[in-house]
Amino acid sequence: MRRSFVLLLAALLVCGLTASVLAAPKYGGIWRDALNANPPDLNPVHATDTTSAEVIYQIFESLVEIDNEGNIVPLLAESWTSNEDGTVFTFKLREGVRFHATTEGGKPTANGGREMTAEDVVWTFNHICDPAVNSERAYFVDMIKGYADYREGITDHLAGVKALDKYTVQFELSYPFAPFISILGYNSFMILPREDVEKWGHREFNFHPVGTGPFKFEEWVQDSKVVLSRNENYWMKDADGNQLPYLDGIEFRIIVDHNIEWTEFLAGNLYQVYVDDPYYEQAGGTKMTVNPETGLKTAVTNLGLFYERPQLGTYYYGMNVEKPPFNDKRVRQALNYAINREVLIDLVLNGRPSPAKGVLPPGMMAYNPDLAGYTYDPEKARQLMAEAGYGPNNPLEIDLYYNSSTLHERVAEAMQAQYAQIGVKLNLRVLDWGSLLDGVERGEYGMFRMGWVVDYPDPDNFLYVLLHSENIGPQGNYARFNNPRFDELTKLARLETDTAKRIQYYQEAERLVVEEAPWVFIYHYATFSMVAPFVRGYELPSFGQYANKFRAVWLDR
Amino acid sequence: MGRYLVKRLLAAVPVLLGVIIVTFILTTIVPGDPARIMLGQRGSPETIAKIRAEMGLDDPLPIQIINFIKGALTLNLGYSYRNNMAVTDAILARLPATGMLAVAAIIVAVVMGMSLGIISATKQYSWIDYGSMLFALLGISAPTFFVGLLMIVVFILILGWIPGTGYGDGAFIYLILPALTLGVRPAALIARLTRSSMLEVIRQDYICTAKAKGLHNAKVIFKHALKNAMVPVVTIIGVEMASLLSGVVITEQIFSWPGLGRLSIEAVTNRDFPILRGTVLFMALIFMLTNILVDLSYALFDPRIRYE
Repeated sequence: MRRSFVLLLAALLVCGLTASVLAAPKYGGIWRDALNANPPDLNPVHATDTTSAEVIYQIFESLVEIDNEGNIVPLLAESWTSNEDGTVFTFKLREGVRFHATTEGGKPTANGGREMTAEDVVWTFNHICDPAVNSERAYFVDMIKGYADYREGITDHLAGVKALDKYTVQFELSYPFAPFISILGYNSFMILPREDVEKWGHREFNFHPVGTGPFKFEEWVQDSKVVLSRNENYWMKDADGNQLPYLDGIEFRIIVDHNIEWTEFLAGNLYQVYVDDPYYEQAGGTKMTVNPETGLKTAVTNLGLFYERPQLGTYYYGMNVEKPPFNDKRVRQALNYAINREVLIDLVLNGRPSPAKGVLPPGMMAYNPDLAGYTYDPEKARQLMAEAGYGPNNPLEIDLYYNSSTLHERVAEAMQAQYAQIGVKLNLRVLDWGSLLDGVERGEYGMFRMGWVVDYPDPDNFLYVLLHSENIGPQGNYARFNNPRFDELTKLARLETDTAKRIQYYQEAERLVVEEAPWVFIYHYATFSMVAPFVRGYELPSFGQYANKFRAVWLDR
Repeated sequence: MGRYLVKRLLAAVPVLLGVIIVTFILTTIVPGDPARIMLGQRGSPETIAKIRAEMGLDDPLPIQIINFIKGALTLNLGYSYRNNMAVTDAILARLPATGMLAVAAIIVAVVMGMSLGIISATKQYSWIDYGSMLFALLGISAPTFFVGLLMIVVFILILGWIPGTGYGDGAFIYLILPALTLGVRPAALIARLTRSSMLEVIRQDYICTAKAKGLHNAKVIFKHALKNAMVPVVTIIGVEMASLLSGVVITEQIFSWPGLGRLSIEAVTNRDFPILRGTVLFMALIFMLTNILVDLSYALFDPRIRYE
């Protein structure tokens, strides 16, 4: 009797769970979320930060997008082909995609809700590369044929982008460029309705954004909130043919302080929250289960669902290789041997990120799991320091520059303690972000904190951008690393279309960087998010929490 | 009185000019290039150069200052580097929130502070007196961010009386906690000052006379004593306006309040100099006007003070 009761109970439980998982999505409700700053720019053409991107992803769409696992998948383009040498890309556009017909409380948009066609793609890329518009990220696509002529005013349009018919658009590049497709998924390359951009002007469009995305812009109260509403003409449907999105709208509140954000989540005013360290255990962070395939960790508590996964990014201390003592490779290597990354991560970062052996994070193409990297070896570190002429009688003293934040401070203090073990005195110099960037770019600081999270999922965005000698200074190579063989390899990999060969080039290039050690490789980022218990259809993107899309999210209550 | 006002307003002009010049010099010598910060972690040198030119950062400093003053005379303070909003629009958009908060905080400070001060003075050495002075001591000592966080935990999380932080589109309930947080420090100061100044007045002969001729106690306190005790209190209210303007920065941050304090902090972090200059100028103006008003109000309380 008792056994059958237990069985019955179990059966009921299974049915209940299945029912809740399989339950048809419910329409309606407002998604309540927080942004950590007033977004600088909702016009994709001028946006350069992740806060703006979080809103832009809901209003606008690009030809391709990066899915939650980091793969490039079709969005406004249904499919694409390229010629053999990778210089011509032809995109077939999705038919029946319409721009928003209304915005800001039902006012008609200038485009009137018309269909998006190949002409819009051509116009958008001309607009982005227009020297008068001066888009901050135009240089990402400087390989498109005719870019330089257009920028310099020799031509009045971008020669390399053409509409072949209503739904076919072709990009011609000046040289083969393998990461081209993944760059098109970056949040600056959203397809825009010409009429609305022209109505407001490219600067004022920031306050009146119109796109093809699942949500329409309604209202932006500066420093207070950004409100979006459901795009009733959205083209995408779910697997069962139901019209997306399910939500009636989104309200992003602008909450600067993570502690307040957490309080608001507990008070039920937010459905998604950033989990800062003091709340990690409360959020279930210490009891997570891992999906070995995707690396996605989850925990369910009465507060909600906590997600965490590796993010494509690397946290490092750069060393200016032109400046003593960092012009000595032995010093740079010693500083890498001297730290115990695992202990640092466990003690200071709740064990969330993974230790960095090199530049490329796990999950990135060409990531090399067999890379030896630097293990914790204080003996070796001391020996290298002695060879470089430092020791108890001539101790090395270094200034570390970092931007103020509790996280950077905790890491810096842990590093300071570890370096003291090999007799190196690390002085901590705190600056604000603007000052740090300024000094680092001018090569003023010997050692500095930096981090990098990808713009587009390709090793090019790490190795070429951050370490090629062409990019020394503001373009990303702050360590002023200059190695001819490395330069050659990363250039070859840019032009190569064969993935296997590219991987080979990048792995060799990365081995070189590790050997030369222009950085102290510290850790690869983790991204995380917690959502309320009644949230369904939410997925945490490996690209970072800021890239989440709410088109398939619904509220079960 | 009119002449005095004109004189004071004219005297404000060189002060404002000084504020403008100092702000300009500070924003020029501070490290950090606004064009670079706008571009995120990396940017192409071509784009940086273009943005710098667009922002007018390549002009020599005196030219930048003259252009700014010329603009300011026509209420054109330039455009935000960060999102290209007109500075005057950006300030006007935040003005209602900060105005509401500041006025509410002053009301809290004056009402709470004066009531406690008067009660304490009239019931000297009673438990009410000790209680209010203990409260005043705590109010002065506790930092704004601590009071703010405490209020949030108690009234939003534990008691649930207030729905949350934020502006709530201007609904009154959202104003309560920030106003209390911002008002509690000046309230404590006003309470202490009102008490001591009342105690002094209460011992004067004319109060004795008023009591002797049989006036009702309340009339003695509010009509004869309080009016004379007000001059130092009004002064402190004027002085506290300055700390209120700085307290607003922290309070707005904690309560996600979309006001001028947050605007100016973000302008510093992002090196958004037009916004920074605009808010500094605006706050300086408000501060000076408040001081003039405070000086003028002395005549209301003390007929011996005349402005000629």
